[in-house]
Amino acid sequence: MSVIDIKGLHKHFGDLHVLKGIDLTVESGEVVVIIGPSGSGKSTLLRCLNFLEYPDEGSVKVNGEIIDPATSDLDKVRRHMGMVFQHFQLFPHKNVLHNVTIAPVNVLGLSQKKANAVARNLLAKVGLPDKEKAWPSQLSGGQKQRVAIARALAMDPDIMLFDEVTSALDPELVNEVLQVMQEMAAGGMTMVAVTHEMGFAREVADRVIMMADGLIIEEGTPKQVFEAPREERTRTFLSQIL
Amino acid sequence: MAFLTVIQEHFWGFFRATGLTLQLTAVSLALAVVIGLLFAFLKLSNNRVANVVADAYIGLTRGLPLIVQLMFLYFGISSIVVLSSFWAGSLALAFHAGGYVAEIFRGAIQNIDRGQTEAARSLGMSPRKAMRLIVLPQAFRRAIPSLGNQFIIGLKDSTLVAYLGVPELFSNAMTAAAANYKPFETYLVAGMYYLVLVVIFTWMVNKLEVRLTPHRQEATR
Ligand SMILES: Nc1ncnc2c1ncn2[C@@H]1O[C@H](COP(=O)(O)OP(=O)(O)OP(=O)(O)O)[C@@H](O)[C@H]1O
Ligand SMILES: [Mg+2]
Repeated sequence: MSVIDIKGLHKHFGDLHVLKGIDLTVESGEVVVIIGPSGSGKSTLLRCLNFLEYPDEGSVKVNGEIIDPATSDLDKVRRHMGMVFQHFQLFPHKNVLHNVTIAPVNVLGLSQKKANAVARNLLAKVGLPDKEKAWPSQLSGGQKQRVAIARALAMDPDIMLFDEVTSALDPELVNEVLQVMQEMAAGGMTMVAVTHEMGFAREVADRVIMMADGLIIEEGTPKQVFEAPREERTRTFLSQIL
Repeated sequence: MAFLTVIQEHFWGFFRATGLTLQLTAVSLALAVVIGLLFAFLKLSNNRVANVVADAYIGLTRGLPLIVQLMFLYFGISSIVVLSSFWAGSLALAFHAGGYVAEIFRGAIQNIDRGQTEAARSLGMSPRKAMRLIVLPQAFRRAIPSLGNQFIIGLKDSTLVAYLGVPELFSNAMTAAAANYKPFETYLVAGMYYLVLVVIFTWMVNKLEVRLTPHRQEATR
């Protein structure tokens, strides 16, 4: 069954028509990479998936269920969807362990003890087994982002959304984050990632989606899109970022 | 020396009155924090009526001279319920400081990066949980310097309830000065008491700020 199934999605910000009819299906276990020029609506699309923005038109199905922001319990929908942000957004008043446990404890009702065990396991997975007592301000960007990934995974999501999670990092810190993402993908996690890391897209993505001006203008396997793009705009875009 | 005689004569009297001053300040400011938080939320809500109520309240508390508010509330409150002058004074001071505290909280809450709320919501937290667990603790810490300031102002403002007949420090000083014909020395002694309180208070606020700052949690970004 598809985890995400959207049809005819439109989104406006005032007079600005940002998404102009998006159809997108993401199957369980699939890794989808979204590329496209700045302002094309990549972030907005991602944010519509977990309803940080409400679509104006179109249908969004999550795990087969149609979600209507007016009537659905969005908090519940979001529990099953992890999101990682460009600027980390760790909670600065909580140490690393509590950043990871705060949602499982307060949203899922796990005991602190149980949540700690889950968190320690995840922190080890993202390569930070000895940082649980550290404060976010004491971490490097790459470490912060890995904590943010662990924090999202602690909710045991069905899908992970990544919005340019390496673009605020110093170049030498990018790989440690991509590696964690690659391991997640290998573990079968369903992922939608906005990223311009072409190496990652090539190796990990099942499908690459090219967005321009609020529309998906081209999609295919990384090989198809990167080596034989059909659209002129894709070619131009790729030549700019490569 | 007249000064030393005044100290000698009034040290303990003033000391006890200082206790009352501290009680007034503590009670009124604790209430002001509750009132302030409430009106900060009203002001931040999407409800127009709530916004107008908050604006009216904040406008009144900031626009009217404190002594006018005190008199008005004192006689207003006392005409409805029988309250001791201490409680009437505390409530009036709280009403006044609440407007300023509301603005402090509103600013602090608005200054927390929207991304923090979004991160919390993306983890499945309800708006209330995101506010309580993520935004408020950070906003509160950031508000401490301004709150500390407001508290010092509150301490000094508490002198005005002398006119409501609360025998706090300033009221004691007035009575003493009228009786001993040494107003200069008497007010000097009272002033020293206030200064010492302010110094202690400032020190405590600084301590609290450091305590609530886990490893100088600077930017999250
Ligand atoms: N909350 C908002 N209010 C108004 N306009 C917005 C808002 N969010 C995004 N936009 C606008 O919508 C358009 C698409 O933005 P979006 O962030 O989705 O683009 P993007 O493809 O992610 O770009 P980038 O690569 O720069 O991140 C832009 O013109 C942006 O200015
Ligand atoms: Mg973006």
